[in-house]
Amino acid sequence: MEFKEVIGRRRTIRYFDPDKPVPREKIQMMLEAALLASCAVNAHWLKAVVIERDKLPQEQLDKLKTPVADIALDLAPVHIYFFVDLGVVNRIQGSRLRQLVDVGALPPTHGWSHKFVDELVYPQILKPLTDAPVYAAAAAADAGMAACQALLTGVDEGLGVAMNTPNPEIIQNVFEVPPDWMSLWVLLVGYPAESWEAGGQRPRPPFEEQFFEGKYGTPFKRDPAVVEKLKAAKMIQRPAVPNDPARKAEIKALAERLGLPL
Amino acid sequence: MALKPMLEYASVRTWLDGLREQWGGDPVADDPERLPLLQAFCEFADTDPDAVIGACLRVDKAGDKRISVKGRRKYAELIDRFQAASEESRLRKAKRGNTIRSFLIYNGILLAAGAQMAKKD
Repeated sequence: MEFKEVIGRRRTIRYFDPDKPVPREKIQMMLEAALLASCAVNAHWLKAVVIERDKLPQEQLDKLKTPVADIALDLAPVHIYFFVDLGVVNRIQGSRLRQLVDVGALPPTHGWSHKFVDELVYPQILKPLTDAPVYAAAAAADAGMAACQALLTGVDEGLGVAMNTPNPEIIQNVFEVPPDWMSLWVLLVGYPAESWEAGGQRPRPPFEEQFFEGKYGTPFKRDPAVVEKLKAAKMIQRPAVPNDPARKAEIKALAERLGLPL
Repeated sequence: MALKPMLEYASVRTWLDGLREQWGGDPVADDPERLPLLQAFCEFADTDPDAVIGACLRVDKAGDKRISVKGRRKYAELIDRFQAASEESRLRKAKRGNTIRSFLIYNGILLAAGAQMAKKD
C-alpha cells in the first residue's frame, strides 16, 4: 500500500474479530517500525510489552479494563502496551548521541563532537531536563511518534489497530515493569470485524482552524488542488456522515454477532 | 415493590428517546421485548427504573453530577446475575443482559460488560 493510502485507511477499529489470530511476524514488523522512528537525542523512550490476549489470565485482563476500554480489550487478540522509559536519559548518559557522532549523523559541520556531548549536552542540558516538569510530556510526545509508526505499519499489513487507554494505576503491576516506566497507551491489534472503512474518515475540525502561517491567527491557506491530489492518492477519503444507514446496519450486525448492547 | 407502567418513568422515556435518536423507528414496536425485560429486571432487583439510574449517579461537593462507582458496580453485578438466571440460549441470555445495559447507556451510565458472544465459557 502506498504511504498516503495507509494514512487514509487508518481508523480506530473498535470491532475486532476476536478469534482471528495475528501472525507474529506482523507484530514484529510493527515493533521494527517503532524502533526506526525519529527520536530526540536518540534516547528511545518508547518501550513496549506485547501480550496475546488469550495468554493473559482473565483476572489480569479484567484489571486492565476501564469502562471505555472494556470491550476493545476483550476483542483485540493482541495488545501492545506502550510505556515511556523516563530513566533512559540518565542511564545512557549521551552514549547514543556519541553513536550518532560516530556515524556522521551529528557531524562537526553542525557543531557536534564527543566532547560536546560529554561535557555540555548530557551534563548541562539533558540531565537537568530530566528534573524539569516538562520532561515527561516531552518524552511522551517522542514515544508517541514511535508508537504511531507501529500503528501505521499495522494498517499497512492489513490489520485493524486502535490506541486505547488501559487502567494506568495498575498496569505497572500487571506487567512488572520498572518503576520509572510511565504507562502510555495500549495499541490494540487484530483483524477488523467491521469493514476497513468503518463508516468513513472521522470528522475533523476545519484545516484552517488547526494550522497557521507566519503567526497565530493567519490560517495556512488550504489549496483545493492539493486536496484533490490527496483524494486521488486515497489519503483523503469519504468522510463519515451522521445517520449513515449502511454504518448503522453494520453496527447492528456486529452487536448481534458479538453480543453487545445497542 | 409495585411498579408503575414502564413508560411513566422518566429514565425509560430517556432511554427510548435515545434509541429513537440513534436508530430511528419506534423502539418499543421494533423490539417488543425491551420494556418487559426492563420490568423483569426491576422485579428481579426489587427496584424501579428511575431508582436504578439514581443509584448509579451521585452529586459531588461542587454540585456536579458524577457516576457512582459503587452504584454502577452493584448494578453491573445485578445485570450479570439477571442474565445468568435465564435458562435460555447464550444468545438470548446476552440479549437479556444487554437490554438492561442499553437502558443504562442511554441514561449516561457507561456500563460495558464485554462482548457477550466472544466470552469464553
